[in-house]
Amino acid sequence: MAAATIDAPFEVYRFDPAKDPSPRYQRYSLSLPPHTPVLTALLKIRAELDPSLTLRYSCRSAICGSCAMLVNSKSRLACQTQIGPEIARHGRIVVDPMRNLPVLRDLVTEMRPFWSNYRRIEPHLIVDPERPMPVDKPTTMTPEQVARFEETPRCIACAACYSACPAVEADPAFPGPMALAKLYRFVVDPRDAATKQRLVKIQPGGLWLCLRCHLCTEACPKGVRPSERIMDLKELALQAQGATEAGSRHALAFKDNIRERGILNELRLVRQTSGYGGILAQLPQGIRLVRKKPEIRKTPKEIQGREEVEKLYEILDPEEHS
Amino acid sequence: MERHDVLVVGAGLAGQRAALAAIQAGRDVAILSKLHPLRSHSGAAQGGINAALGAEDSVDTHIYDTVKGSDYLGDQDAIEFFCKEAGPTVVEMEHFGTIFSRGDDGSLARRAFGGAGFPRTIYAADRTGLALLQALYERIGTESFTLYEEWDLTSIVVREGRCQGVIAFNRLSGSFEPIAAKSVVIATGPAGRVYGRTTNAHTCTGDGIAAAYRAGAALKDMEFVQFHPTALLESSILITEGARGEGGILKNGKGERFMSRYAPHVLDLASRDVVSRAIWTEVEEGRGFPGGYVHLELMHLGQEKIETRLEEICDFSRKFAGVDPVTEPIPVMPAQHYIMGGIGTNLRGETNIKGLFAAGEAACVSIHGANRLGGNSLLETLVFGKQAGIAAAEYAKVAPASTLRESEAEPDAARVKAMSNRAEGEEPQRLRMEMQNVMDTQVGIYRAFSALANALRAIRALQARFEKVRIVDPSSTFNLNLTDALETGHMLDLAETIIVGAIARTESRGAHARTDYPKRDDAHWMRHTLATYSHEGPKLSYAPVAYTRWEPKERVY
Repeated sequence: MAAATIDAPFEVYRFDPAKDPSPRYQRYSLSLPPHTPVLTALLKIRAELDPSLTLRYSCRSAICGSCAMLVNSKSRLACQTQIGPEIARHGRIVVDPMRNLPVLRDLVTEMRPFWSNYRRIEPHLIVDPERPMPVDKPTTMTPEQVARFEETPRCIACAACYSACPAVEADPAFPGPMALAKLYRFVVDPRDAATKQRLVKIQPGGLWLCLRCHLCTEACPKGVRPSERIMDLKELALQAQGATEAGSRHALAFKDNIRERGILNELRLVRQTSGYGGILAQLPQGIRLVRKKPEIRKTPKEIQGREEVEKLYEILDPEEHS
Repeated sequence: MERHDVLVVGAGLAGQRAALAAIQAGRDVAILSKLHPLRSHSGAAQGGINAALGAEDSVDTHIYDTVKGSDYLGDQDAIEFFCKEAGPTVVEMEHFGTIFSRGDDGSLARRAFGGAGFPRTIYAADRTGLALLQALYERIGTESFTLYEEWDLTSIVVREGRCQGVIAFNRLSGSFEPIAAKSVVIATGPAGRVYGRTTNAHTCTGDGIAAAYRAGAALKDMEFVQFHPTALLESSILITEGARGEGGILKNGKGERFMSRYAPHVLDLASRDVVSRAIWTEVEEGRGFPGGYVHLELMHLGQEKIETRLEEICDFSRKFAGVDPVTEPIPVMPAQHYIMGGIGTNLRGETNIKGLFAAGEAACVSIHGANRLGGNSLLETLVFGKQAGIAAAEYAKVAPASTLRESEAEPDAARVKAMSNRAEGEEPQRLRMEMQNVMDTQVGIYRAFSALANALRAIRALQARFEKVRIVDPSSTFNLNLTDALETGHMLDLAETIIVGAIARTESRGAHARTDYPKRDDAHWMRHTLATYSHEGPKLSYAPVAYTRWEPKERVY
């Protein structure tokens, strides 16, 4: 089944910190069928052109999680990204190591920050000694309990989400999408006895730092949809503890604020999120903002057709708004 | 120099389970692996894990199916122990947190698998290995142990009649290090990459089996190589037997359900060796599709079943073969999948070397005999991983301290340095590809003396060329070119043991099918092959098969 080949120009990030003063891109010209995975192409480079090209890989079937890297700037698994569509769109294939992790050599990154964030969420069942597992038999679960495991068991810990996450880049305290999706997996596990503690513990400097940009969900090669799991966690966290964090207060304030006039009142938002103390703390920033954008001082007028907004709230949360 | 009571090499299910058992026995434990534990090939196992938990099923039926599946080469005492441990093992993994698929009543769901009398394969969609690996890694993460991550095993040191530890290559620092241990457990998994057309990961290069062989361990039944009936054409990516367990059917180029000719009773769910030979025969006799393959049809199962119970392979087929199993058949051919042979052990994972233990696919107890049943390998990793860990911990408790010396890493370092210093020489990957081609074409599903003899000559020629192999990458950080060389050397040894065993075994049994000796020959060959290293090549000897209750019969499915 010899398929027609296409020209596949590769530009691959090369850097050996032990001997190279700075990173460079090395070009390789290949001719391959369009359905060839990027990993297969890189292994062909290793086997036939340059055995010094360094990357992690193992299963080549998207289950071991070794080969996450940037393909044309997107965090992907090299083994399940085909060259054809990449070349059609970008004319070439630029391969870089993942973002948010230091480079050890070429496409190999230091994974320790990723794993330490994973360990931070206590990724293991915590069983209540008062409620031990059944003796000599498996636990049973209701279909509703089972349904909550829909996406998270697919995670292969490839770190593509971690690489794609701007919150990780901005704040090293943010555990990252994978760790939070893993946390959700334990929070919804009926065998786990630490649900409440987990939800309380993850809030300060953790859960609410998510920017809701959904880049992790776009990057995830396995459909875990981490940003949705994070939103699920936020909801569970509010239920478990109420709005005790700036992040959770901000979320609630946003909701009330929009509902009132259909448009954001930014000054009130700051007060509701951080209190008067928060306004004081943010005063210098606020003054700069007002200079640049004077209209922000005015309380915004209610938008036309605010009733429609109210209807949306009723649809989204019928109990609260009935 | 680092020192431990127990050093486990390999961090897949067998290795982690061994380590957990040794930790629980109070020993100081380390795991050394060339991959992060969650990247282990155990995670690629799709279909499930066998345990006779159904009301209609029984441990005895599981034992019988396994004995029959092994074509009567499995040790029946080991198989009895193995099947009795199945239930408790699955329950333990569930309690560790494994997310299994469930029936509507909330109990563990079961599916049918080849060669099994009842639906007894517990599963987690079609990523059972990953589900177990996650849970075991989560469990062992609560314990304290040392992890040597991304280290290659280069040698096992045996002196004064016992194992003293290992020599390993630290990829990140680029150094060869001795690690002293009273007990060493080899759990490095498969060696499937001796073949090119294999479902195995690129990293399945049998390093631990080869190092044990060089250190004097006897390899058992290496000629028994399983070919999985259904792999995607170009990539040889596995399509789980669970696909047929859920009702998938095989059809040849004429649209016939050809399995009715080979296994009239159970059709597509015959044992793997039977189905692989049937597909091979159909294609050889011109009843395949042009280009040489058959179809696996799932369309009649309906979109929902395909997308939930066979989620991964549905995704694989779409992404890797451009085929949507919901609307069209999947083109498949058999590919190397599993090696029944390995480091010979007893029920406790003990080898012929004191202080050296083995478990999982790297080992051969033997429970799979001449052919492994689907769903038994995940179970084997956990059952015998635990046993090996217990035995290694017991031995370490009474064994004297290792006498390993710092200088003992030097020969490995020097050997590799010579490869790096060469001005000219062959690229290790080139030798690897030539080896794979030899194994694919001459040591496949059907074997015959002439092809095997050619293969042996070819492998020995490659071994000679390997003496002049060259590592061109000068870097001391993550030098994969060096790893290529280490792995290729290991695999050439193992390829030789497979071929030598296959030439000697003049019968057809399970996965070993000789066209020149098509019949099973119980009078001569109901025995295990043992291969030990010598300068002239593997020396063969034989050991009896353990029998308890099951008389050998003709194997019909």
